[in-house]
Amino acid sequence: MVEFGIEFVPRDLYWKTTFYAIQAEKIGFDYLWITDHFNNRNVYVSLAIASAYTERIKFGPGVTNPYLVHPVVTAQAVATLDEIAPGRVVCGLGAGDKTTLQMVNLEQRKPLSTIRESVRIIREITSGRALEMQGTIFKVSGTKLNFKIANPIPIFIGAQGPKMLTLAAEIGDGVLINASHPKDVENAMKFIRQGAEKVGKKFEDLNIVAYTSFSIASNYDKAFKAVVPVVAYIVAGSPEIILKRHGIPVELASKIRNAIVHGLWKEAFSSVDDNMAEAFSICGAPEICIGKIGKLVELGVNQIVVGSPIGPNMRKSINMIASEVFPHFKEAVGEKRT
Amino acid sequence: MTLEKIARNIPASLWDEASEKLIDITLGSRNASKMPSDLAKTILYYWQRDQLATEVGLHRLLEASMILEPEKTVSLMKELGLSEIVVMLKETS
Repeated sequence: MVEFGIEFVPRDLYWKTTFYAIQAEKIGFDYLWITDHFNNRNVYVSLAIASAYTERIKFGPGVTNPYLVHPVVTAQAVATLDEIAPGRVVCGLGAGDKTTLQMVNLEQRKPLSTIRESVRIIREITSGRALEMQGTIFKVSGTKLNFKIANPIPIFIGAQGPKMLTLAAEIGDGVLINASHPKDVENAMKFIRQGAEKVGKKFEDLNIVAYTSFSIASNYDKAFKAVVPVVAYIVAGSPEIILKRHGIPVELASKIRNAIVHGLWKEAFSSVDDNMAEAFSICGAPEICIGKIGKLVELGVNQIVVGSPIGPNMRKSINMIASEVFPHFKEAVGEKRT
Repeated sequence: MTLEKIARNIPASLWDEASEKLIDITLGSRNASKMPSDLAKTILYYWQRDQLATEVGLHRLLEASMILEPEKTVSLMKELGLSEIVVMLKETS
């Protein structure tokens, strides 16, 4: 079954994000993901208020990282959310955005071990068990929450590189492929299969999510303009192998990264071109978006996350997804991966 | 006259259109940070319950848009042909 998720970056006032979350639920989105960056509004506060005004949509951080937030705190936060909205909480976890981590002088050290250990900590603690773990990154002794958790919290792991994709399939309840282009998703599937096979999971049973940067509007130019900032961040944080796959010069990506780190937004954003937007976003008029989503679904993705910005006018773009995009995929449900 | 009473003068035939446009004004306002938190929560409450295109919902949307964008709100009422409401809004502001 193809599901749809929507991602918001809580840089807007809380009531706007909540307004759009209500709208997303009304039009049929299945998941609400809110990003976790220290320089935006807090993800758990944003999720808590959104959950209070919604009834059905599943939601969670998309994604948090264990460099800035210790996994015991993540476990505590998602467990608390489960009290507010029982059975609707998921936890997106990733190794963090290099550029943002640099801003607070944090190094993305041993990402695979960090994620593996974090997943164990979050899973054990949200299961209500006491955890004794002497990991290479985290050491916890008899750690346990002082309150009961009613529901299991599925952990979705955000991944882009081969090793993280394999690990995500191996230990995650879901894999969030940080990609928008069919080439990248197709490539990711190889590693996801490997990870699943390693632990005897069936590929067909995996919850595979394409976490896309998405911008829909009546015409391409408007959609492109809205997606530029997020594409700049993705280019800045992408590994060389992915940049080369899309013909993006590594030096240009470094230039964008440096501009972002130093807050030179105009310089960073003006370097983004159509090729970058094509590589790292689903962007354009409805028919273009439908075509690209269709390719991702054919590859075996079973949740499409439309990531902020979503469009030049948030409300209209969300409605456009409902009226123009959803009808094409509600029909396609169940046809893939059979 | 209170905004509640003014909202009551919006004909039911225009509730949907007025609501849509007042939402646009509110969400798109550059003065969004001036929105009182209690009012924001009330609007979210009505939005969740599909009541923004009702008398009570319009009252709250009108209140918000008059705080954030009074001139645009008055222009909208003119555009909707609600000249009496334009006069009432001017008297309250």
